[in-house]
Amino acid sequence: MALDQTAPPTAVTPRLLRRSAAARRARHSTIKIWLGAICASIIIIPVALARVLPLPDPVRGVLRDSSLPPLSDGHLLGTDPNGRDLLSRILFGGQTSLVIGLLAIVISGLVGIVLGAVAGYYGGWVDTLVSRALEAQMSLPLLLMLLLVVALFGPSIAVITLVIAVAQWPEPARLTRALVLVEREKPYVAAAQVLGLRRPTVIGRHIIPNILPQVLVVVFLLLAQAVLLESALSFLGAGVQRPYPTWGGIISDGRELFVTGKWWLVTIPGIAIALLVIGVNLLGDGLRDRTRRAKAGDS
Amino acid sequence: MTHNIPMGGTSGAEVVAEGGVSRRSILQLAAFLGAGTLLGPTLVACAGPQSTSGGSASGGTGGKLSITLNRNLVSLDNKLNQYDAAVTVQRAVRQALTRIGLDLKPELVLAKSFKQTSPTVWTVALRDDIHYSDKSPVTVADVETAIKLYFQVKAGYVASQFPEQPTFTKVDDKSFTLTTTKPVVTLNSLMSNILITPAAANKAEELRDGLGSGPFTVAAADSGTGTYRLVRNENYWGEKALLDEVNVSYQEEEGARVIALTSGQTDVIDTITPESAASLKSNKDIEVLQTKGTRLIHLFYNFRKPAGHPLSKATVREALSHAIDHDALIKSLMAGQVTSAEGVVPSTLEGFAQTGTYTFDVAKAKSMLAAEGVSGLKLRAIWEDSEFAGAARVMEAIVGMLADVGVALELKQIPKGGDINAWRRGEAGDWDILANGYGNQTGLAITNLQGQYGGTAAKEKTRDTYHGFVHPEVTSLLDAASQNPDVAARNAQLKDAQEKIWALWPAMWAWTPNNLLARRKRVTTLDLSPGNFYDLSTVKVSG
Repeated sequence: MALDQTAPPTAVTPRLLRRSAAARRARHSTIKIWLGAICASIIIIPVALARVLPLPDPVRGVLRDSSLPPLSDGHLLGTDPNGRDLLSRILFGGQTSLVIGLLAIVISGLVGIVLGAVAGYYGGWVDTLVSRALEAQMSLPLLLMLLLVVALFGPSIAVITLVIAVAQWPEPARLTRALVLVEREKPYVAAAQVLGLRRPTVIGRHIIPNILPQVLVVVFLLLAQAVLLESALSFLGAGVQRPYPTWGGIISDGRELFVTGKWWLVTIPGIAIALLVIGVNLLGDGLRDRTRRAKAGDS
Repeated sequence: MTHNIPMGGTSGAEVVAEGGVSRRSILQLAAFLGAGTLLGPTLVACAGPQSTSGGSASGGTGGKLSITLNRNLVSLDNKLNQYDAAVTVQRAVRQALTRIGLDLKPELVLAKSFKQTSPTVWTVALRDDIHYSDKSPVTVADVETAIKLYFQVKAGYVASQFPEQPTFTKVDDKSFTLTTTKPVVTLNSLMSNILITPAAANKAEELRDGLGSGPFTVAAADSGTGTYRLVRNENYWGEKALLDEVNVSYQEEEGARVIALTSGQTDVIDTITPESAASLKSNKDIEVLQTKGTRLIHLFYNFRKPAGHPLSKATVREALSHAIDHDALIKSLMAGQVTSAEGVVPSTLEGFAQTGTYTFDVAKAKSMLAAEGVSGLKLRAIWEDSEFAGAARVMEAIVGMLADVGVALELKQIPKGGDINAWRRGEAGDWDILANGYGNQTGLAITNLQGQYGGTAAKEKTRDTYHGFVHPEVTSLLDAASQNPDVAARNAQLKDAQEKIWALWPAMWAWTPNNLLARRKRVTTLDLSPGNFYDLSTVKVSG
């Protein structure tokens, strides 16, 4: 029997493959990653470079330049009533918010991964202890707890960072525990135990490296939440003390002037926060989708 | 039983329609009407601003007025707290023997006469026609109880303005005497703050409702939310109020109050910021009233500093005041709505003496600090959130001004409801400069002077002086002035005292803001006093 060389080997054409759900999801995650990276970069790169950019002092203004609208001479985003450049204040304020956010997620990530891994691997009373602590923490109203702690210990970068970190550790801890519960049953873990490795070594050297990509994506997503929490605290007057700018503080100060026509004092920092939060969330979502697909492909 | 089933090309629905109104159309109509009933008022409200109080007004008298305060009016009494705008509402319900008029002079209200019959004795006669809203008479016993209770209440605001508690002695059913151990020549002004309530209903605490002799009665009160509904007292002993009803509410957010006014939800907002005033002036439906105020706002030094501290030297305090560019602050942050102080009390007060002016001179500030060997000075300023309009902006600007003369200023904003009193007393932490407002409801300079600068060593033991200001030579001058019945001689003593105080440089800078009130133009008559209050009974609205 002769084969027809011109007929395609399969009915699944490249066009159909491109339209498949898996390919669509892959495309979506790529779009999310790019869009998220662009949105976040628009904010993060200038904020990171604030000290090297030729910007006016964000704390000391020139009173004769009070409340200039955007696109005024020498002030791209305008000035506040104290004559301080709004772009400078947003970028330097962003440094405060981002430093607090990054430090908070590093601490909460470390605590969450260690406690979650220990709870998942050891089980028993260790698991009970960590899980109950985690549930207790999650049952507390977050913002109220933050305000209470800041009221007790005073507002400073260290206190606010620690408070946000403590508030966020349950998220990575819960995920890590769930992933470790799955991983500990796999043959490579049994092999490591047979080889005589001690349990902390098994967790640290074998299990955590396997679950880290998925957990890191969740920790990264917490950055947006941490920045929002810091802004909320500053907005409510429990943030870093004046005159140092913070995003929440700039919005809070501009709020009462909004009705008098000075819209830029609220709108522009609001857009900056929204761009960063949307960017980080899209990027995190895209990375999570990609990690899931990679994991599914491996298995 | 048979049914007529339509045949051929005619559908069932068409047949039903041919027979009359279908069930579907009835349901659609019902749904439409229901949606209209539910959403109609909302859509109408969204169509444009509507006044909630405009409907019942008629030709000059009658009508409703809605006012929105910026602070919660927790009571219709003033034993513990009395801020400017509260006076407007409190005195619409309760009255005192006297009141402070638009010219800041005492006027008789419940008293027919209020005379100093000897240096330490004032004789008072009540009017014959006065009575409460239930027509029960105002008696001398009510006055006696009121005075006693104002002094019984702990941490009372009003009682602290009296040099001593006057002793009450009944003469007859309509007259009595008030006796003090030392002459108190301003007792008629001070008594304007003692509101009279029936003795049986009065308590040593703030009263949230109850009877009064004023032109309005309380129809509904909720001190928690700060909302009150006052209605005209039809039994009022004097000239009846022009308004039928006054609705009082509270909104802390300046922006929300401005929107409430421009949208017609409220008719009057008081104590507005210069920025809001400038913005509202361009609104054709709104009128902004302004009067020179009696409230002094100052950046007061902490006089509890140890002897070795730079701030314990008057020359250092003066040097710091030269670093403040007050003209730039007034122009840029206060919209020109304040007056830089030219003395230690507002110039609107009786007994004010001009003692000097604040000058901006950075070079002088630097040289004076250098002459005193002060370098690398670090100070901390505190203030309560919203203590005065744009407080945070002013304080942040001052950080830069002091930095220009080499002084680092740390800012500490105490939240509203936080423990500012503990800070002021030095119990919550150390500080160097306090940004604070000092109100005046008597129209007299001596009230401010005694409250701020009349401190004694005994009072300082309990931290009851004004931030540690204890200078016996000033205190004795003020005591002498307060006992001097001769106005010219008293004012001369007060001038001497004010010059001595100025020479001590108690404040880095001080200013008096204008009183700013915005009203919708339907409010045709409203006389704003320099004390930042107005008489509700004379307020008139048009349709």
